[in-house]
Amino acid sequence: MTMESLRIVVVDDEPLARAVVREYVAAHPGVEIVAECANGFEAVKAASELSPDLMFLDVQMPKLSGFEVLELIGRSVPVVFTTAYDQYALTAFEVHAIDYLLKPFSAERFAEALTRARERLAAREGMPVEALVDANRTNQTPLERVLIRDGSKVHVLTVDRIDYVEAQDDYVAFHSDGKSYLKDQTLAAVEGLLDPARFVRIHRSYLLNIERIARVELYAKDSRIAILRDGAKLPVSRAGYARLAKLL
Amino acid sequence: MHPILARGSRLALYLSVWIIIGVLLAALLAGPGGLAAAQALAIALPIALTYAFFCLSAWYVARSTPIGPTGPIRLAVTAITSSVISSAAWLAVARGWLEIFTRGSELASGRVFLAVRPLIFGFGVLLYLLSLAISYLLAAFERSREAERRGLEAQVHAREAELRSLRAQIDPHFLFNSLHSISALTTADPPAARRMCVLLGDFFRDSLALGSEDRITLARELQLAERFLEIEQVRFGDRLRVSVEVPVDGTVLIPPLLLQPLVENAVTHGVAQMLDGGLIAIRTSVTDTRLRIVVENPCDRDRPRRTGTGVGLSNVRSRLIAVYGDDALVSSTEADGIWRVELTLPAERAPAGDRHVSGGIGAELRS
Repeated sequence: MTMESLRIVVVDDEPLARAVVREYVAAHPGVEIVAECANGFEAVKAASELSPDLMFLDVQMPKLSGFEVLELIGRSVPVVFTTAYDQYALTAFEVHAIDYLLKPFSAERFAEALTRARERLAAREGMPVEALVDANRTNQTPLERVLIRDGSKVHVLTVDRIDYVEAQDDYVAFHSDGKSYLKDQTLAAVEGLLDPARFVRIHRSYLLNIERIARVELYAKDSRIAILRDGAKLPVSRAGYARLAKLL
Repeated sequence: MHPILARGSRLALYLSVWIIIGVLLAALLAGPGGLAAAQALAIALPIALTYAFFCLSAWYVARSTPIGPTGPIRLAVTAITSSVISSAAWLAVARGWLEIFTRGSELASGRVFLAVRPLIFGFGVLLYLLSLAISYLLAAFERSREAERRGLEAQVHAREAELRSLRAQIDPHFLFNSLHSISALTTADPPAARRMCVLLGDFFRDSLALGSEDRITLARELQLAERFLEIEQVRFGDRLRVSVEVPVDGTVLIPPLLLQPLVENAVTHGVAQMLDGGLIAIRTSVTDTRLRIVVENPCDRDRPRRTGTGVGLSNVRSRLIAVYGDDALVSSTEADGIWRVELTLPAERAPAGDRHVSGGIGAELRS
């Protein structure tokens, strides 16, 4: 096996924790740190702009946890988690992390993780994106916030800020405060993740936060429109109206 | 359930006492009734045992008119009325039994009954009053045992709560993360690594020593919190800023490690969740009677709600309730991205003679 240069990104909100990885890496000539990130947003940005071979990712970070970063970058970058908490180990392997380093870890253990990463890269082991996302989601229903990746930027939308979700071809658009955010997901999948007591499918293409409804008007025979507090109008199908009536 | 009917052994003991009473009654009846000993026994024993069950009702009378809340007049009226009624009923039973017993014999029931009537009635009243007195005694005994049991239970609960909260005091991940920082410093900055080792050692030694005490001075608790935050500052760098307002009077006593979970929360759920970190502010104020402690930290408004500050805060709350009851208050509020916990508790002070002890150790720590 040829030792190609391994381009890695180190993500940890603690400068000293990044220093440990930096120091350990210095002993491996074939490994190069291409970016150090102090939070999840920087990590997502680095992943999309630098497409590194491997990411050392802390779990406990402000705003975005390591698992949320992984959810956003998908399988584009293999990940080794680093954390002081052993209770995430199972989840880490469910999301196909290459390794899970418990702080404090030794240089030998770090080298082992690098070897595993090299093996994985050499085998070009693929993993289905859907499986990854699902495994990550199983333990957080109903969803409390939606993470949307917009190029190298990340938007964090708490669910109470979502006005409605709209199906747009292969995407869904989350509408919040007059802005909309596109995400690569189906409306049915979003509906399954959000709290059914707060979000109702009023139409084939619309999922509505019921707190945003001002009133529902009859528009034509068998068809209604929902008027939201901010004035936006959404079509309501017959089945959608039945579901809405049951909740209100 | 009636305490005597509740167990067979008690009922047997009770009835055997009544057999003795029956024998006594037979002896009394033999004289005025002009009966032979065997006849007197045959009459007295069954009616005595019947009355045994009548007298069980005294328990319910005692229960419905407890000594404390019932006035003495009502108590006396109830006792006399109930004993007269049951004795009269007993008399009727005795008369009936006498009829049956004397049927077909040469004894004239009417004459015998007339002769023994005052005796049976008086005996009945006295026995009922005695039962009533014993019932009151039993009730009082049961109440005191119940109170004792409840007191013990409360003590056990309080102790358990305290132990539980003590166990939850220091998060082991704090140690793991600190060790990881030391691991980084060993090559990058060896003097800093050594300083961190000393800080950690001091912190754990202090928290163990303080945790085993009943009360410590506020000054010592604040020193421990400062030491903890100093260690966390090594980890978080300039993201973590700290302001601790030490009161003029630090000799007020508090349960040990009361602040610790709040300060840990302020780091883990507060500053650590902010990209740019923030300030943890601890303020205290002491009056003659009350102590107020406020811990404030910034918090992420968009945080997932389930990762709350639950355990630490509820531990503090249950501990304060276990120690001070209603006399302590814990409130937590969130406004403008600032999480604020406020404790108000009685300002306890050591008796003048003891003051130098608790203050002395505090002074030693400060040096």
